[in-house]
Amino acid sequence: MDLWNQLLMGFATAATPVNLLWCFVGCAVGTAVGVLPGIGPAVAVAMLLPITTKVDATASMIFFSGIYYGAMYGGSTTSILLNTPGETGSMVTAMEGNKMAKNGRAGAALATAAIGSFVAGTIATVLVTLFAPLLANFAVRLGPPEYFCLMLLAFTTVSAVLGRSTLRGMVALFIGLATGLIGMDQISGQARYTGGVPELLDGIEIVLVAVGLFAVGESLYAVLYEGGRRETRNKLSAVHMTKADWRRSWPAWLRGTFIGFPFGTIPAGGSEIPTFLSYATEKKLARDKSEFGTRGAIEGVAGPEAANNAAITATLIPLLTLGIPTSNTAAILLGAFQNYGIQPGPQLFTTSAALVWALIASLYIGNVMLLILNLPMVGLWVKLLKIPKPHLYAGILIFATVGVYGMRQSAFDLVLLYAIGLVGVVMRRFDFPTAPVVVGMILGPLAEAQLRNALSIGEGRWGVFLERPMSATLLALVVAILVLPRLIKRLRRR
Amino acid sequence: MSAPDRSAAQTLIGACVLTIGAVIAAGATMIPAEAGYGGVGPNFLPWVVGGGLVLCGALVIWEARSGGYRNMEEPGGAARGYWRGFAWMTAALLANAALITSIGFILSCTLCFVLAVRGLRNADHQDSPRPFLQPAQLLRDALIGAAIAAPVYWMFTKLLAINLPGLTSSGWI
Repeated sequence: MDLWNQLLMGFATAATPVNLLWCFVGCAVGTAVGVLPGIGPAVAVAMLLPITTKVDATASMIFFSGIYYGAMYGGSTTSILLNTPGETGSMVTAMEGNKMAKNGRAGAALATAAIGSFVAGTIATVLVTLFAPLLANFAVRLGPPEYFCLMLLAFTTVSAVLGRSTLRGMVALFIGLATGLIGMDQISGQARYTGGVPELLDGIEIVLVAVGLFAVGESLYAVLYEGGRRETRNKLSAVHMTKADWRRSWPAWLRGTFIGFPFGTIPAGGSEIPTFLSYATEKKLARDKSEFGTRGAIEGVAGPEAANNAAITATLIPLLTLGIPTSNTAAILLGAFQNYGIQPGPQLFTTSAALVWALIASLYIGNVMLLILNLPMVGLWVKLLKIPKPHLYAGILIFATVGVYGMRQSAFDLVLLYAIGLVGVVMRRFDFPTAPVVVGMILGPLAEAQLRNALSIGEGRWGVFLERPMSATLLALVVAILVLPRLIKRLRRR
Repeated sequence: MSAPDRSAAQTLIGACVLTIGAVIAAGATMIPAEAGYGGVGPNFLPWVVGGGLVLCGALVIWEARSGGYRNMEEPGGAARGYWRGFAWMTAALLANAALITSIGFILSCTLCFVLAVRGLRNADHQDSPRPFLQPAQLLRDALIGAAIAAPVYWMFTKLLAINLPGLTSSGWI
């Protein structure tokens, strides 16, 4: 089978000592990033984007993917031991995991989270291996109108489904799109919004916006509004699961995997939906429901963790086959690809097949590495939690500096970084979501190119979107997502 | 924040969004509209974004004036901002920007670290801020900052050959 051969070749590339080292470092950095509060995988990858100028594409994509996964393994450690979850995907783990930890069963919770993540990650990677090439073959038939509608769907879901207010989400999205407008237009070469400043011809760096909004904004918010906050820490018990724990966990792992995987592939955005869904499922199917919310039920940790990991792995499918990111970190990964001049999409499997299969092979390897890093070595990561907050946030600023300065060697970018950090504080204080800004900025120029190509295919007629069945369906979906929730709310009020 | 303060702040944000939208729309008029092969020109998206921001800005102002933002969750953290700590952080970041090319990455980031830690530590002890010139603590913060900045600098310049500014051209500091 051709698939098998390509995967084996991918393993051959991924198993070279250099790539193994990058994989390991990525997983370690990712776990640390997931454990530490105040920093997430999207920011970490963004801060390290300068390496794309020097390191070859395969190695750095393996590295970044390691960070992406590791952060998820590490996030569950924090959410079980601390009351504040690290990532949104770990929020549900925190609910039951905390209860278990309070009852002296932190070790079992950590074990089920790590092993569940490994099981889910491996199964999900197998599914990616099987489905990605199939989808790539199908996606070749998609034309610019379909791509534009898919991107429109991504914009809609990221601003209207997440968060509490569609209006504020839209504001964030438009700000992101506006930032993406600055620079040279891809199709006509026209300079837009550069004000005669030659440095702006290349546009605003993604690193600048991502690091400014998330890292610097987070630090500024912490100094302004989070002084003196004390977090309770639960004690770490032996990381070990009893036979009963195993028996209860493995069905939850499998259910979680198959709930989480579909949600990662669609632009529904975020891992909150699959993890909450998995939690609800486990609660409904549990034999002993009394443990939920009181002593802490192990299924309530096993299922959501597996769902989270499966969803994150699945985001690689739309990223690699369609070039559409369905998570924040995936959007930054898209930016990393663009730095190499590689455009993910159906052609990726033909033009950069070696890179893609090495990446997929490294996912298998990374999962094994992360299991080892997180099970026996969990005590090491827990020590990271002892770092006092002032040193942590100040240290993040140093990494932010190297990330931003390393990209363009401009001290003025550091001033811009501060200004964007201020915007981040305002957005957080007034409940404006920040994810749409990044997605809008990265996806905006691509969507515009697809729109204009679509219209030139349709000879200037806007009807081209409605004449092709797939794009018409997608457009209907977009309208439905925008209109239906409001309609239902109004009908319910009557 | 008290209710009228909050309403004012929310309105101000809406006004800013509207202004940005107007600026973008104004800029869009200066972009030529040549549409090439029958698609839309380079000024199409600017008009859409500008118009969208103006519309959203107006809606935000309307929401702010008619009872505040809808479905807004209380933001986490304290009710009032600790502006002295904020001043320290601002000093940290802007000093870094100003000095990084003259005294080099390691020294500039160490300074940034020390100032930022100062602000964050004071935020944790808002009722009893300590004096700045506590030599022992100052030295310890500077050493920790250097211990973070120096390896990062060496890794990026020596291993990855990425250009970061140095005090000397030796590549080590």
